[in-house]
Amino acid sequence: MQSLSLAYRQLNTLILGKPRAIRLALACLIARGHLLIEDLPGVGKTTLAHGLAAVLGLHYQRVQFTSDLLPADILGVNIYQRETGSFRFHQGPVFSQLLLADEINRASPKVQSALLEAMEERQVSIDGESHPLPTPFFVIATQNPSEQLGTFPLPESQLDRFLMRISLGYPPPEAERALLLGQDRRTLLADISAGLTAADLLLLQNKAAALTVTPDLADYVLALLQATRQERSYLTGLSPRAGLALLAAARAWALLEGRDHVLPEDVKAVFPHVAGHRLGLSGDALGSLNKLLDHVAIP
Amino acid sequence: MIKSLLRQGEMAVLLALVLVILPLLLFLPPWLPLLVLSMLALRAALLRRQAAMPSLYLLLPLLLLAVGGLWLSLNTLVGREGGAALLILLLGFKSFESRQQRDWQVLLALGFFLAAMPLLFDQSPLAAVWLAISLLALTWAMLILSGEMVEGSLRSAMQALALSLPLMLVLFVVMPRLPGPLWSMPHDQHVASTGLSDSMEPGSISQLVQQQEPAFSVVFAGQAPAVSEMYWRIMIFDDFDGRRWQNVRGLSSETVQWQGGRLVSYSLTGKPSKSRLPLLEYTVTAPAGGVLEPGNLFKLARDGDELFRFQAQSLLAAHYRTVLSPADQDFYRHLPPGNPASRQLAQQWRAQGGDGAGFVRTALQYFHLDGFAYTLKPPLLNSEDGIDEFMFSSRQGFCEHYASALAFMARAAGLPARIVTGYQGGQFNPVGQFWQVKSSDAHAWVEIWLAETGEWLRVDPTAAVAPNRVAQGVSQSIPAMQPQLPGLGRSVPAWVLRVQQNWQAAGFAWQQWVVGYDAGRQLNLYRWLGLGEQVDSAAVLRAVLLGGGLACLPLLLLWRRQHSVSPLQQGRHRLVQVLAALKIVVVDSDGPLDILNKARRLPESDYRQLKALLKEYAAMRYRQPAGAQQVKQWLRRVKAFQPGRQ
Repeated sequence: MQSLSLAYRQLNTLILGKPRAIRLALACLIARGHLLIEDLPGVGKTTLAHGLAAVLGLHYQRVQFTSDLLPADILGVNIYQRETGSFRFHQGPVFSQLLLADEINRASPKVQSALLEAMEERQVSIDGESHPLPTPFFVIATQNPSEQLGTFPLPESQLDRFLMRISLGYPPPEAERALLLGQDRRTLLADISAGLTAADLLLLQNKAAALTVTPDLADYVLALLQATRQERSYLTGLSPRAGLALLAAARAWALLEGRDHVLPEDVKAVFPHVAGHRLGLSGDALGSLNKLLDHVAIP
Repeated sequence: MIKSLLRQGEMAVLLALVLVILPLLLFLPPWLPLLVLSMLALRAALLRRQAAMPSLYLLLPLLLLAVGGLWLSLNTLVGREGGAALLILLLGFKSFESRQQRDWQVLLALGFFLAAMPLLFDQSPLAAVWLAISLLALTWAMLILSGEMVEGSLRSAMQALALSLPLMLVLFVVMPRLPGPLWSMPHDQHVASTGLSDSMEPGSISQLVQQQEPAFSVVFAGQAPAVSEMYWRIMIFDDFDGRRWQNVRGLSSETVQWQGGRLVSYSLTGKPSKSRLPLLEYTVTAPAGGVLEPGNLFKLARDGDELFRFQAQSLLAAHYRTVLSPADQDFYRHLPPGNPASRQLAQQWRAQGGDGAGFVRTALQYFHLDGFAYTLKPPLLNSEDGIDEFMFSSRQGFCEHYASALAFMARAAGLPARIVTGYQGGQFNPVGQFWQVKSSDAHAWVEIWLAETGEWLRVDPTAAVAPNRVAQGVSQSIPAMQPQLPGLGRSVPAWVLRVQQNWQAAGFAWQQWVVGYDAGRQLNLYRWLGLGEQVDSAAVLRAVLLGGGLACLPLLLLWRRQHSVSPLQQGRHRLVQVLAALKIVVVDSDGPLDILNKARRLPESDYRQLKALLKEYAAMRYRQPAGAQQVKQWLRRVKAFQPGRQ
């Protein structure tokens, strides 16, 4: 836990004025989920991803998605070896512990689905051969919601692969002032020391998954799910899988809060970020989810 | 996806309406319900395709056309048939006007009203079962329309109906009964009433006998008489035109005297036909609700065909003595010309037998011995002299042929005679302990007035031809009438009979206790319950308050079960109230940390107390479910928590 709070502090010096987004991103990784960051360019998406990799001590690779990207560019390819006369698999960037998929919605659906499949299966199959991905394995994908020209929006079924969707937004004025006066972020990144090892992270993940959830809390989650199903302004309600995702995220959040059990507040904290993209709401429309939280009584 | 969810409610409403309208096919000209059903189907198709609705300019002329057709086929737009027909027609058109949720709710409300419509035509248990099905469908549709998930909705609908059942029963029992039926509306001509007709000619009863419909049911107080003694009188025919017997006299008064006989009491329930209900011969005093007409017939005091129930006492096998004036005697001897051979035979019998009684003996012997056959399908009598043809050539007939022939012979021999129609016998139902008399028990017999004793003597020529008919019933005497399974030449198995008997018993109980629950029975119940000596407004108010309170008990129990509050929730509620007094507003969606967050401005010590209480609350609910003892202690501490008091 000590190292976790150290990591949190370090990230906060890197990304200024965004403690909540950082906490959510950490919770997402602790809950073994992939993260989708939806925001304008230049608000620090990449820096956050970079910083997360650095503080968690993860092997990190970044892929800039473009429309001419091919699945092999991400997954890897079998290359003929003249010396041995056989094929050898060259791993693509997906074989890393943390993959930053920048502007994921610029790639063709074929590439998107190849990546999303790898995210779900945690392995890559090429030419009938399976190559397991390293553990832990995270994908942090970013996309720019305002530029829609020439993009391929992720289908709803694939959005489901991301545990959370967060956005950073402009920093508050003081934070931005400090940013302007402060050091270059890239230099700062280089200074960050890994407070955690991959093994520590695994331990944290297991600990989070073991947090107590009482029937009373499950009832609250259920009430929230029901409310999204009855609310007619949503296209569809949340699925049972979304319910499980919500619980996992709430557990991770509770762990970050230093508790050994999950409170309704933990569920409320992560709910808009777990439910928003699954309900097909745009990043600006999360107000309706907060309203829903205000209306659903805790049983 | 979302569209189809929205349409589910509307589809459910249409489906429920179809169930509501279906039974009306039996009571209205079939084209009308069929038209409305097809309109509902068309509406469902439009809904499915999300197609545009027909415009008002198309609907309006169509409506006028349909109402015109209705007028042509019923000649009315009011009354039972007319009103029902108009309403379902309007319902069909209304469905094309329904766009908003509210419109569909109006349709549903109309459906609830229409569901009771078949009861105006039929009050049998089947109608009640159908009503229950319709109500269930409508309630279910209401749930779906209000956004309930289809899954489990049927169960919820049943639950809702079950909860309203006690209230319905209470209202049924306590609401004041009107003296007549609520729906005493003019009857429509095209609905043929079953039962005995106003006149008798060959074929009129044999047609009736082939129906198996229940005519009436009887419960005897004490020992029931023998089947052969059960002559249920309904009508008397005193004039013969050569083919048809009818009643022209309208039965003037007669002075009657009974002698001997055995008294039996019984209560009879049946649907009157032309205000008439059967009486066992001979009844001394008129049962309540009607008058005793000359000829020992029972006529109800008021018109109507709703089920009637009465108590009566009869003197079985009594001598029925009447003084007939010479003019009356002549009237009962009148015959049209024709049938010379029969006249001659009658004279011969009279000469042989001597007095009236002797004539009767001779006549019965003749029918018994001379090759007469009892059959439901006698050859048609075509000639002018129908009686001659029957007596001497065809010699096959049903009770009306024999009664007609014997009455003719008696009159030809100079004896006053008349024909009585009604029912003979009945079947005992061991399940319900009552006697069921069916249309197939319809019968006709002869009464001959004997000058020597001044007595109307009942003579049943059918008994001479087919003794089984009178002793065991019509189905035993005509092989073709024995119950058979269609296609198999075998008798009905015992279990089918048992099912039939049980069904009849259920119908009888239904008539006795539900349909027959009238003002009198209600008064008895009020007195028995001590609610009052009269069914007046005060008594009804008492009954409604008492019964309504009882009926709402299940609702209360359900409510309590759903809103039962655990001690933990009680404690939270208490904290919320305490904080509200300090203008800290806590809502239902606030968790323990939210509450604490809102209460930040409390004085330090209070805040710390509250924090401890809430922490324990959170632990008991979300960490480790606590034992009752721990919860109780916590609750005590919550009650002791009094912030703002220093």
